[in-house]
Amino acid sequence: MSAIATVPERGAWARLGTNMRRHKMASLGAGLVIAVALSAIFAPWLSPHDPYEQDVLLRLAGPSSDFPLGNDDFGRDILSRILWGGRVSLVVGTSAVLLAIMIGGVLGMLAGYIGGVFDRVVMGAMDVLLSFPALVMGLLVVAMLGPTVGNLILAITLTAIAPFARIARAPTLVVKERDFVEAGRALGFSNLRIMAVHILPNIIDEILVMASLWLATAIRTEASLSFIGLGVRPPTATWGGMIREGFENILDSPWLALFPSLAILVIMLGLNMLGDGLRDATDPRLRHE
Amino acid sequence: MSERGAEPALVVENLTTEFRIGGTWYPAVRGVGFALGRNETLALVGESGCGKSITALSIIGLVPRANGRVSSGRVLLDGRDLLALDEREMEKVRGNRISMIFQEPMTSLNPVLPVGFQVAEALRYHTDLSPSAARARALELLEHVKIPSAARRFGDYPHQFSGGMRQRVMIAVALACGPEVLLADEPTTALDVTIQAQVLALLAELKASDGMAMIFITHNLGVVASIADRVAVMYAGDIVELASVDELFANPTHPYTEALLRSIPRVDRDALDLRPIPGQVPPITAMPAGCRYADRCPLKIARCSVETPPLAPVPGLRGHHARCWVRTGDGAGAEAA
Repeated sequence: MSAIATVPERGAWARLGTNMRRHKMASLGAGLVIAVALSAIFAPWLSPHDPYEQDVLLRLAGPSSDFPLGNDDFGRDILSRILWGGRVSLVVGTSAVLLAIMIGGVLGMLAGYIGGVFDRVVMGAMDVLLSFPALVMGLLVVAMLGPTVGNLILAITLTAIAPFARIARAPTLVVKERDFVEAGRALGFSNLRIMAVHILPNIIDEILVMASLWLATAIRTEASLSFIGLGVRPPTATWGGMIREGFENILDSPWLALFPSLAILVIMLGLNMLGDGLRDATDPRLRHE
Repeated sequence: MSERGAEPALVVENLTTEFRIGGTWYPAVRGVGFALGRNETLALVGESGCGKSITALSIIGLVPRANGRVSSGRVLLDGRDLLALDEREMEKVRGNRISMIFQEPMTSLNPVLPVGFQVAEALRYHTDLSPSAARARALELLEHVKIPSAARRFGDYPHQFSGGMRQRVMIAVALACGPEVLLADEPTTALDVTIQAQVLALLAELKASDGMAMIFITHNLGVVASIADRVAVMYAGDIVELASVDELFANPTHPYTEALLRSIPRVDRDALDLRPIPGQVPPITAMPAGCRYADRCPLKIARCSVETPPLAPVPGLRGHHARCWVRTGDGAGAEAA
């Protein structure tokens, strides 16, 4: 029975992969995201200099062969700081989005599946969460609990739970009425199994699209909080923090703010292209099978 | 052991299922009862909304909870009352000892999971088979239901199969754990006539080889004639006639059964002979007192709209029951008394 050994257990991922390859935008976006992620992950090896090493003589020096993106107010290497700063942005962003998917996605699926009073209570709570603008929620949490990486993740997670609950609930409402769910019940499957094995693969596409778009939002929120001084404390390098520092010298040395801004631009562009491409790839009206 | 062979596979007693409409509970199935022998096929026949699907859903415990309930009765599988089981225990019965196949093969399979996975899933859920053993068994099942080149198609998705092939996959899923009872809810209604015949032949063959009992729900009397051993005709939530298939077609007793048989178009008869049944099934919220068919019945007597007739033996016909004051003779007897 060697034919069976190669039978794939799941098809949702494989199908997504095939569709992705057909969409150049999504692939380009994915490429940008992967490039930024790799450069952040391998920052300790890629950085030409120590991101914390100060050199008064190089204060506000322009780009040179040794320091391709120039030096900041303390003479630190901007390229190295951007590479290291990406780590904070990506760790905060991905952790917050993953947590939000786990909490919000599960709550939304349960609300849609169970319905009734539970649905109304959960979605009511989500509406309350949604009424806080992301930045206000960030200010609130960080001001109360202190500017640590953990609290930044908490703050951004809190703002992202409600959108994920909504995006998971709506298709669950539709899918749970489909005949194969009834057929699953007739096969004795538990509610947990029906949700995890039969409904989840049918709604995962929409959650993934949302995840890539929300990762961009999360990174932007983190940068915004750092920019107004509520991010991870200096001297840790963060993109938002670097822009703020660069702002003080924007007329003399524009590259201080420019290069970290470009880093944010690249990751945002990549994530949005990926998200749009994913949405097209998973849209049944655009899908050619 | 000879006793065991005579023991019915499934006994349904006095089953009543109600639905709540505007705060009041109305029965959609009223005191339905029958015994289903091993290796026997019972056809449940009737118009849309007569309660045949609700009967099946009640047996398997899938009456929608939000507005439905089984208010009385027993469903005995091997002497155990399924209605008394809690949800956990019932999950072990469903798909394992009682399976169900549905009308719509196009939508009853999960579109994002390969068919082989879906057959193996039921096996892995209800048995201790290892993943590889479950897949090997699933492949055997797909071959058993005659999917051509099953090994190659194991990893294909439902949209790559035709309607008839999908219904075969559904049958394979339902049969995976070797159930004692199969509930087939109009399994061939959505299929082309030629495919219908193939699926019916397959079901008959599987029933004979696996020795399971089957409840076959349909509104198609032609299908009944080809697959059933016994027939229960349902009208407005009641069984109005219960007889072996030969008996029923030879001696239809209840006026509704007669009317149903007359309303089938036949090549060998004049089109003028085709007579639709006048009137409509009364709505669930406005069931008349007495016999529910009385308003449409040409044989109606005064008693019909007052007292509900019981499902009584038809005099002179063995194993033949009907719910009619006029035809069972009970009416005359009761009137005399």
